[in-house]
Amino acid sequence: MRVRRFTAAAIALVAMGGAAGCAGAAGGGSGAGGGTVQMVLWPGPEGDAMQKVVDAYNAGQGKKDGVTVKMTLLSRTDTFAKEATEMAAKSSSVDVYFTASYIVGQHAPSLDPIAGVDSSAYFPVAVDGLTYEGKLYGLPLDVSNHFLLYRKDLIDQLMSDAAWKAEYGKVSQEVVGKSLTPKPPADWNWDDFVAAAAFFTKKYNSGSPTTYGTALQAKNLLYNVMIWDDVLWSQGGSWLDSSGKPTLNSAAGKAAMSVYSTIYTKGLTSPDSAQAEFPETQAAMQSGNAAFALQWSAGYADLNSAEKSPKTAGKIGIAPVPGEQHKTHVHALAVGLNKYSKNKANAMKWLTYLATPAAMTTYAQAGGIPAMPSVLQAQQGTNPVFSSITDSIGTYGFAEPTLKNSFQAYSDLADALSGAWVGREPADAALAKADDALNRLSG
Amino acid sequence: MRTRWILGAPLLAFLVLLVAAPITYGVWTSLTRRTLSGTDAPFAGLANYGAVLGDSTFWHSLGFTAAFTAAVVVLEVPLGFGLALLVNQRLPGHRVLFTALLLPIMVAPSLLGVMFRLLLNGDIGALPALLAKFGVSVSLFDPSSVVPLLVVLDVLQWTPFTFLILYAGLQGVPADLYEAAAVDGASYVRTLRSVVAPVMGPVLASAAFLRAIDAFRTFDVVYVLTGGGPGTSTTTASIYIYKTAFTDGDFGIASAASVVLLLLLIGLVPVVVRRIVGKPGEGRR
Repeated sequence: MRVRRFTAAAIALVAMGGAAGCAGAAGGGSGAGGGTVQMVLWPGPEGDAMQKVVDAYNAGQGKKDGVTVKMTLLSRTDTFAKEATEMAAKSSSVDVYFTASYIVGQHAPSLDPIAGVDSSAYFPVAVDGLTYEGKLYGLPLDVSNHFLLYRKDLIDQLMSDAAWKAEYGKVSQEVVGKSLTPKPPADWNWDDFVAAAAFFTKKYNSGSPTTYGTALQAKNLLYNVMIWDDVLWSQGGSWLDSSGKPTLNSAAGKAAMSVYSTIYTKGLTSPDSAQAEFPETQAAMQSGNAAFALQWSAGYADLNSAEKSPKTAGKIGIAPVPGEQHKTHVHALAVGLNKYSKNKANAMKWLTYLATPAAMTTYAQAGGIPAMPSVLQAQQGTNPVFSSITDSIGTYGFAEPTLKNSFQAYSDLADALSGAWVGREPADAALAKADDALNRLSG
Repeated sequence: MRTRWILGAPLLAFLVLLVAAPITYGVWTSLTRRTLSGTDAPFAGLANYGAVLGDSTFWHSLGFTAAFTAAVVVLEVPLGFGLALLVNQRLPGHRVLFTALLLPIMVAPSLLGVMFRLLLNGDIGALPALLAKFGVSVSLFDPSSVVPLLVVLDVLQWTPFTFLILYAGLQGVPADLYEAAAVDGASYVRTLRSVVAPVMGPVLASAAFLRAIDAFRTFDVVYVLTGGGPGTSTTTASIYIYKTAFTDGDFGIASAASVVLLLLLIGLVPVVVRRIVGKPGEGRR
């Protein structure tokens, strides 16, 4: 009797499992349907800000549209991997995907082009980055770029103190090979950057108020390639030449590599920088251990916040990325319409609302950095970095070539280059390996 | 006979659904050009295997993983055995010690990685700050110290696992063997060498095998702390497979790498089984 019961239970269990499996296989998910739009975003400042926009829509315009938006925040590190599995399954469970200019080429086959949106309201570089094979696949949401964030108090003293100036000349002679005079950070080229980093490093200047001059982000991470690209582009370099061939192993590439490896091997940044990214750089500045750093625009407000950064609040200045030509990588975070959504009409109502200045104003006031210059201008009082972003992106912004596999390209470049950034591998070999990767991916 | 099959059905279903089916699907995927964003997966024959075997990064990741595995197993098994012997002495407070020792294996490895990233940070980490008070300056994420750091962190987290297995094994050593050794006047070390070690041999082999298999799949802590770098210097086999699948979006090559890894590891199984279960004909005691 017991055996029979057990057998029946086992068969039922297996049958349930099979049924569940079949349901999953038939899947693709039916989506929310009706007036509910399912959207995916990643957590952090963008997800927090977007939640306010979602709430505002659901409480206002959404009622008129008969649409409710439900947003799911995935893990910041694995959002794109999880989305990719949905896309591979041609799932309709998500109506609006999170995308970005550095991955839109990979997402494009699973997205519908965005039509009926006034793209002139956005930074051109953001629109370009989200355009793949002539079509716009992402509605720009947020822009990210880089600045030189520096301690104003220290740089002011360097510019005015005769003894510091004299010491600066000696240190720059030792490290850069020529005696330099201090300049305002907005005028720095890479020699000035390296010289100032050495001056504010105790190893070269025992009177330095900081342990290290700068904080390099040299971890094997695709986002760190974007920062190194600033150095490359400022030297006149790029990933590809005008004929589409990889061109990292060039004079510009070697010069850009030399800037990083000099900073690391000469000890102008903490040895821990080999594993550093955004948070570690913030920590180096917040602790007062570094005088300046290339950093994402999102870092500025926190470093000047009395609550979050008591040591540096009110002391942080902002300047363009150094170089003979100032250049800053720009990427846009965006949302795209799932090609397999069964709820496209409602999803488009939501996207149309997202494209309004009113929605982007809510987004800006909630901590996001919208890709609309007019909103950034109007919201300068909300976040002082907005005016710098508008100027910097408009004047110095660039976007790397949009490849079908841009995301993979960044990752492969991080694999190829990060060892040489910290002097563990020869620059020539690393740049050649990077070219090989690009050749494979752009072919 | 029928009852035997009926009773074994759940296990059979488990094996088919959770072991055989995924492995078969994985092997099939390794023979196709399946990508994360692609809509079809054409047959590729052995091309993915050619790509994996010809990729120097794959071989480097295997070499690093093997060295890492050897280092952590060599440290964790003796340390776990030492701790098991210590707790087995029933010293005062041994229950508290037992509980405290098990805590690290209850922490998710990725969380442990994040914790250590904060704790060891040169600017805001507690450990560097503490050492600085004694005039010691450390840069634990320096490329020359990051590999030993990863080994130490693995030892800190997983030695309790070997301890647990070996402590359980020690409970199976018959008390009369200890008594006989004591009657013969054997010292503690001699008792360990001549009485405990032979009995514990299969348990030690099991602990080493389980840790080796697990260490060979190391992912979380290394990925969180180094991302596999600088360059690919700390890329483990699992990180290689993960990046190939989810960054490169190439499931075919990632599956081929997984199958190669499986074939390499499966070669260890007969050796270990022989060590644990005994040679055919030896019988079970």
